[in-house]
Amino acid sequence: MFNTNYKLIATASVLSIATLFSAGCMDDGATPTKTTKANTATTIASIDGGVKYPVIGDKTGPYYVNNQSNMMKINNGRVPTANELVAWDKDVMPDGTGLPEGSGSVEDGEEIYEAQCVMCHGDFGSGGGGYPSLSKGNADELQKTLTNNRWKDPEADGPTRVFGSYWPVASTMWWYIRDGMPHTKSKTLSNDEVYALTAYMLNINEITIDGEEVDDEYVLNREKFLKIKMPNRDGFEPNIDGPNALKDVRKYYENPANFGAKKVNPATRCMKDCQEKSVVVTRVENGGISEFLPPMSVVRDLPKKEASDMGFNVLKNYEDNCMPCHVADGMGAPVTGDKEGWAEVLAKGMSGVYKNALEGINGMPAKGGASVSDDELKLLVDYMIDNSK
Amino acid sequence: MDNKKSINDLDISDRRNFFKRTAALGVTALAGTSLIASEDDHAIMHHPEWGQKWGDPVTKNRYGIPSAYEHNNTRRNTKLLASGNYRASIAVTPIHESEGIITPNGLFFSRSHGGTAHIDPKEYRLMIHGLVEKPIVLTLDQLKRYPSVTRTHFIECPANGGQEWRGPQFNSLQFAKGFMASAEWTGVYIKTILEDLGLKPEAQWMLAEGSDNSEMGRSVPIDKILDDAMIVWGQNGEALRPEQGYPVRLLLPGWEGNLCVKWLKRLDFAAEPWYAKEETSKYTALKPSGKAIQHFYANEVNSTVVSPSPEKPWTDLEDGDIVEIEGLAWSGMGTITGIDLSFDGGNNYVQAKIKGLLLPKSWTRWSYMHTYKKGEVLLLTSRAMDDAGYIQPTIDEEVSIMGVESVYHRNGVETWEVTPTGEVNHVQVRTPGGIKDV
Repeated sequence: MFNTNYKLIATASVLSIATLFSAGCMDDGATPTKTTKANTATTIASIDGGVKYPVIGDKTGPYYVNNQSNMMKINNGRVPTANELVAWDKDVMPDGTGLPEGSGSVEDGEEIYEAQCVMCHGDFGSGGGGYPSLSKGNADELQKTLTNNRWKDPEADGPTRVFGSYWPVASTMWWYIRDGMPHTKSKTLSNDEVYALTAYMLNINEITIDGEEVDDEYVLNREKFLKIKMPNRDGFEPNIDGPNALKDVRKYYENPANFGAKKVNPATRCMKDCQEKSVVVTRVENGGISEFLPPMSVVRDLPKKEASDMGFNVLKNYEDNCMPCHVADGMGAPVTGDKEGWAEVLAKGMSGVYKNALEGINGMPAKGGASVSDDELKLLVDYMIDNSK
Repeated sequence: MDNKKSINDLDISDRRNFFKRTAALGVTALAGTSLIASEDDHAIMHHPEWGQKWGDPVTKNRYGIPSAYEHNNTRRNTKLLASGNYRASIAVTPIHESEGIITPNGLFFSRSHGGTAHIDPKEYRLMIHGLVEKPIVLTLDQLKRYPSVTRTHFIECPANGGQEWRGPQFNSLQFAKGFMASAEWTGVYIKTILEDLGLKPEAQWMLAEGSDNSEMGRSVPIDKILDDAMIVWGQNGEALRPEQGYPVRLLLPGWEGNLCVKWLKRLDFAAEPWYAKEETSKYTALKPSGKAIQHFYANEVNSTVVSPSPEKPWTDLEDGDIVEIEGLAWSGMGTITGIDLSFDGGNNYVQAKIKGLLLPKSWTRWSYMHTYKKGEVLLLTSRAMDDAGYIQPTIDEEVSIMGVESVYHRNGVETWEVTPTGEVNHVQVRTPGGIKDV
């Protein structure tokens, strides 16, 4: 009885797999190319330049598999509702798929930027605090720096990779602003606000649309957005667009010289006198990067019990949660140690300062994004005020 | 009693060999100084505190934690590899303390683009849609109803070693090579689920999207989905840790860690790729031509000496000590087939020995026995090969093709310098004029 059922399912399944593969998904030469000594298993060339291990008998490579499940259509879950698909299927593709209608001006974008973005990305997208720069000037000019390479002369100028000079398509920016920004409260911007911010990004990178300058008055909408051509649109390899994309990718990774890899016949690899005579040993200079947290140690002792471990570690929490924005000018937050700056803030009265810290203000999210209690947050505010007198 | 019994259990020839070996060792051991102690060891001569009073009841630490003495065996971070507040950052694995080919879950390197999300498993949903005959939504329990597979694979950030294209930066194994870790993963092959959903012929790409703050997404070619791509929920015999995407992440064996999308919420099949932020602005490798490699999938064959290392020097060794040089080798393109070890920075090599399990797209342990000469200076360089036919290039060979601006996918050979006092430094061996235009 079981066997009969099994055969029926198997037949149906084979058909579906045939359909599935007929589309050119698997036309990458599914003939075994060689045998590995390691596993006495046959391997097949893979799209990434490596090998894959097809199931042979009841094994793939060194692993046993239960082949029964290969033959079964396991009907788990349920079909999503139309509304559920709309709610989650919101990705934005280069051809405009998923890009909603809407509009926003450069001017509005700058205002939103100053309120919600500048504290991390700096004035005019110049970067700061470990967050990415969004612009370094004219995109077309900076795109030309991508051939800069410090490989032969360490003192040479390097390439500048920012949105304008490097990114191949603008849909990436629109999509990421909408779903990932602002970092402390993502998915809170309206479509119009995203258009406005994208317009501002184009403005500070001096990118033109259809020959037109994106100046302060410029209003970006879906139609104009789809006309954007990024300066570095053709700056990437292998090709990943169009119906031949996967063939192109497979071909690219067949050649190790394309991606800095090296193939060798193990029997003839160099084992003796492999180097030229004049080799140089380069060392880590000036101790290198060594500010590790916690400091490097392999000692096996009991951890020191600091008083702060018993309760709330103000200094540590300040460093983790507050310092990134309150340590330097240009982040929009009053700088710890800046008497005048804090005097201005304190003019609101302590209850106002606490309230702003608890609920967030301008670019600062509620509690600065910290996972601390209200009372603990007040300790952090007190710490900054105490250090700014 | 137990010791005696075990010797009696040996067969005659084993026993004879055992005694012969012991006798031979005894002679050489006496000739050395290490076994002749002048003073009795306090650790032996007194009753330690832990042997004279009750230990903890079994009711303590219902989820076990490491010995308090192991507190320095921990992930570490550095401000130079961090956004201001450690939310789009990395904490790296202490591979200098790693044993075998499995990383404990608490030490698995942690990288996120919007902080570690904490997902309520009851509200977890996975949606699979796009160019499939039947889109579906799964709860966590429904997902786990699929037949599971368990595989041991490393996950490596393609920026592992990426700070060192222009010269060594970290005098530390943890930071030079710790943007990776390895685990035994349990989940379901995506191809198993697709048998029911039915992939449409024009589907070439799959978007994997996370539900975290950054909504991390990447495009994956269908080849990988129909090969060994997995949706995993198990890590070393328990649920994924939050830092690894609890409750569910994508696992693309051997491929960039960034592609193994965590907190996975959605798989969308389409005819064209998406150009997500982490496959354009980052995770692309700029070459001297000005063109950048995009969709750079597999982490190439690689290796490192683990012991000695800057963290685990040989300063305690005496002249004539026999010491095991130990290392790791791995390849995202296949199975390790051999590791060569050089004592002179890559001029001459000997073959090292593979130890333990040899698995595809997995860490592989290797070692080589060495008799230490007091005061010797060594340049320990390891070089691995895989069954896809690749070997690690020299630094000059790799830079000749990739330049020094590509950040990602650096797999040139790595060298540790052993100084006369047994300290170990991270160095690079270069040939002047060794960068050739290719």
